[in-house]
This record gives sequence, C-alpha cells and structure tokens, in this order.
Amino acid sequence: MAAEKKDDKKPVKLPRTAKGKKPIYFDSTTDKLLSMVLTLMGELSVMRDRLDTVERLAEKKGVFKIGDVENYELSEEVNKIRTERRAAYIARVLKSVQDELDALQQQGDGMNVDLAP
Amino acid sequence: MIPQNMHTMFAKPNHDEASRQDFVNDFRVHLAAKVFPGAFPAYFNRVLPSFIKAQGREPKDRHEVRKVMTKDSYYQLWSAMQRNSQEMIWDSVIDSVERQLPDLLEKAKDLNGKGSLTLNPNVIVPKYHDAADIHLQPGAYHTDSITDDLAAGAVYDRGTYIYSMGGLGPANDGLGRILREFFRKQFPDKKVERALDMGCTIGGSVTYWSTKETGTEFHAIDVGAPCLRYGHARAKAVGGNVHFSQQNAEKTNFPDASFDIVTSHILLHETSVQAIQSIFNECYRLLKPGGVMMHLDLPQVFGQNPLEGFLWEWEIYNNNEHFYGQLRELDLAEVAKKAGFDPAKFKIHQVASSWEDGQTPYSNENFTFPVYVAVK
Repeated sequence: MAAEKKDDKKPVKLPRTAKGKKPIYFDSTTDKLLSMVLTLMGELSVMRDRLDTVERLAEKKGVFKIGDVENYELSEEVNKIRTERRAAYIARVLKSVQDELDALQQQGDGMNVDLAP
Repeated sequence: MIPQNMHTMFAKPNHDEASRQDFVNDFRVHLAAKVFPGAFPAYFNRVLPSFIKAQGREPKDRHEVRKVMTKDSYYQLWSAMQRNSQEMIWDSVIDSVERQLPDLLEKAKDLNGKGSLTLNPNVIVPKYHDAADIHLQPGAYHTDSITDDLAAGAVYDRGTYIYSMGGLGPANDGLGRILREFFRKQFPDKKVERALDMGCTIGGSVTYWSTKETGTEFHAIDVGAPCLRYGHARAKAVGGNVHFSQQNAEKTNFPDASFDIVTSHILLHETSVQAIQSIFNECYRLLKPGGVMMHLDLPQVFGQNPLEGFLWEWEIYNNNEHFYGQLRELDLAEVAKKAGFDPAKFKIHQVASSWEDGQTPYSNENFTFPVYVAVK
C-alpha cells in the first residue's frame, strides 16, 4: 500500500460521528446492543474473507498445509501485534458506548470527570 | 459488490477495508430485498387491522400511518438496522480515506488536466446544510480536517456508491447520465455554449456531462470546499473539463443571461422553502432567453397512497434529510412562476431511473425521478 510509506507523518483524524439528532428505535441500550451485533456481523465477515484469502493463497503457492496452523506457536512480537489489533477491534464494536460517553463528558457538571472507579 | 471504477483520486481500500465495505453493501442489499418488503405484511396483516378495529376506518394520510407503523416491532427492527447500515457505510469508507489522505493530497497537486477550481473562504455554509450532517456523513460535505482537505469528497465518492448499492453505475455518475439522456431526448438540437450545475458536491454528474458535451463550457458550484477540491482533482483524473467554484446556488457571481442550461442533481431536497425560491430566481436570472432549467430530485407525495407516502419518508426521520418532507408537498410550478418563468413553459417530467443495462437496483421501471423543467 502506498500509504504505508507515510506512517512517519502525523495521521489526520477525520470526523466519525454525524451531527444531528439520533432516533431511538427500541430504547437507548437495546439500540446500542443492536449496533454491536451488526458491527460484529461485519467484522466476522471481514475476518472470514481474510482467512479465505490466506488459505487460498497458501494452497495455491504450496506455502504450508492447513494442519500447520494448528501447530503454530505465538511469539512475543506477534502477541503484541495481535493485542493492538484486538484493542482497535473492541473499540470499533463498542463505538456506540464511546459516543454516549463522549456526549456525557461534554455535559455541564459532568465535564471531564475522572472515569476511573 | 459490483466493482467501482478506480481513478487516480479514488481511495483504494486495502484487503480488510474492502471486505468491510463489501459486507455493508451486501447487508444493505439483504435489508432492501429480504427485510424491507416485510413492512407490507406487517402493515396489512397487523397494523392496519388493529387501526381499523380501534378507529373504525383506515388511516387517512401518511402521518397517521407513521404513528402506528413506528410502533410495530418488525418495522422498528428494519428501521434500526437500516440506520445502522448507513452509519456503517461511512465508518467503513473513512478508514480508507483517513489512512491514505496524505497521498491523496499529493496526488491532487500533481494531477494535470482541464478545468479550474476557485474557492471562496467567505462563503457561509447555510443552516439547512450545517444543522445536521446530510445522510449521516460525519462532517458532511463542508468540514475541513486539514489544510487543503479533500477527505469529505473522497468519502462521498465511495460512500454514495455503497449507499446506492452500485446503482449509480461503476463511475458513480448515474444521475448525470439520466439527466443528460433526458435533456437530449427533450431538446435534441439545443446548442449549449455554457452550462451550470448547482450543488455539485464532487461533480460526478457534471463531469460526466462534460465528457459528452465537449463543445460546452461547464461550471459547477457548491458550498463545500473539500468536495470541490476532490471534485476538481477527480474531474482531471477521469478526463472531465469543469470549472468548479465555491458558491451558494441561492446567489452566485455569474452575470445575467450567461448560461444556456442550469441543472441540479438531487440538490433541492437538501435546501429549504426559502432557498428553493431563491435558487429558482437565480436560475431565471442566469439563463439566456430560451435557456433551460432542469432539477432532478426525489419523488413528491402526490399520487402516493398513505403507506407509500410513509415509507418514502424514512430518510427524513432517520437519515438527516430533514427538508425533503417539505419539498414533497411544495408547489414547484408556483415557485417557478414567482421566479419569473412562464407557467406554460414549466413542466414536471417523470424520468425512468434505468440508465444503462437494466441490472442496477435503481433500474426498477416503477421507480422514476421527477425532473422540474422550465424554459426561459
């Protein structure tokens, strides 16, 4: 990817939440749970596509056998990469909760309260 | 998903981004084809009988249908999923654009091609555009996140393609194709020296026009700077020739009687009652005698039964299309008359949405776009 050359530059953050009143369909919590389920549906689909790509490439190029996957041992470096990826994944799935948290923090007396228990 | 044409300015998704976008598209196809149709049995088998039992009559209009349908569990679930799918479109596309933005900015600088770009930082984004982000695109079409930003345009280009489930064609220019085909059927011999497209966003439609009407000088205006920057670069990338400028369609800086045609492609329903009058007034001022005004937009309420009327208005309440509700009942013949057009020369045409091979989701022969046409 061409963009990977630009990793040294400070990344730009684009807006992620649309301005405007959000409708309530069931109730606030159920609506968020639905968002999570649908996002999970999407992410599982993405993951399956990626796995499918890997399996097909491996088979095509004769790189490894599917049985090798079962015997794979996790290195420290790979573990770190997976941990970061998992954190981003969780944030994506729980975005609706974060949105409410952001809104709560911008309200009156609750502004910038310490979130730690 | 049917592949979208790549061009230099296209924010090409990587493996997982593409997969995420494919999922959103396929999810929306499923919602449209398999879930939404259930609104009809939900209404006729459950909601309507219950209404008749309670009231002794059928709902008299779409507003009464709304009151009962929005409480139906099936409709609620479809509606909530549809809203989520809309949010998921933008999230899946912003990933690609955000990651590649520095490269896209460089590419825009390096591109050679025809046309021009004139920005005016003093243009005020009107309230009807700024009050809520249209179609839930975060930051809408006018928010700059970096100097010379064009991200909103790149997000729009891919996001609207997924929104329409590829229905606007691989070049995402279907509305331009529909309106130009209509124009050339209605006015086969009309000579067009200068043309103006209002509310062009990334200029997908007007850029298409410019590749077909090569003897015409095309101008396109919008209030959103990042979309115009992207639109100019995109036009160069696909061989278009358009002069983009940042202006509000209600009042432009072009001289009187300076255009042979003035067009818009789904602009009107994003404005306001006052703005539409101003836009029609401006069209009248800008057109040469014999010039043609053509606005392609979404269907009005006339001729729709109460259930259809209600279902058509989902986007108003769930997708930040707030003004569309008023446009649906507006007497546009009267607006045109007030602007100075001869009532005998104003006509609403219903134009079939199929623009090529009849394979796109918008190619249903029952679905038509109204085109509001007036000749000066």
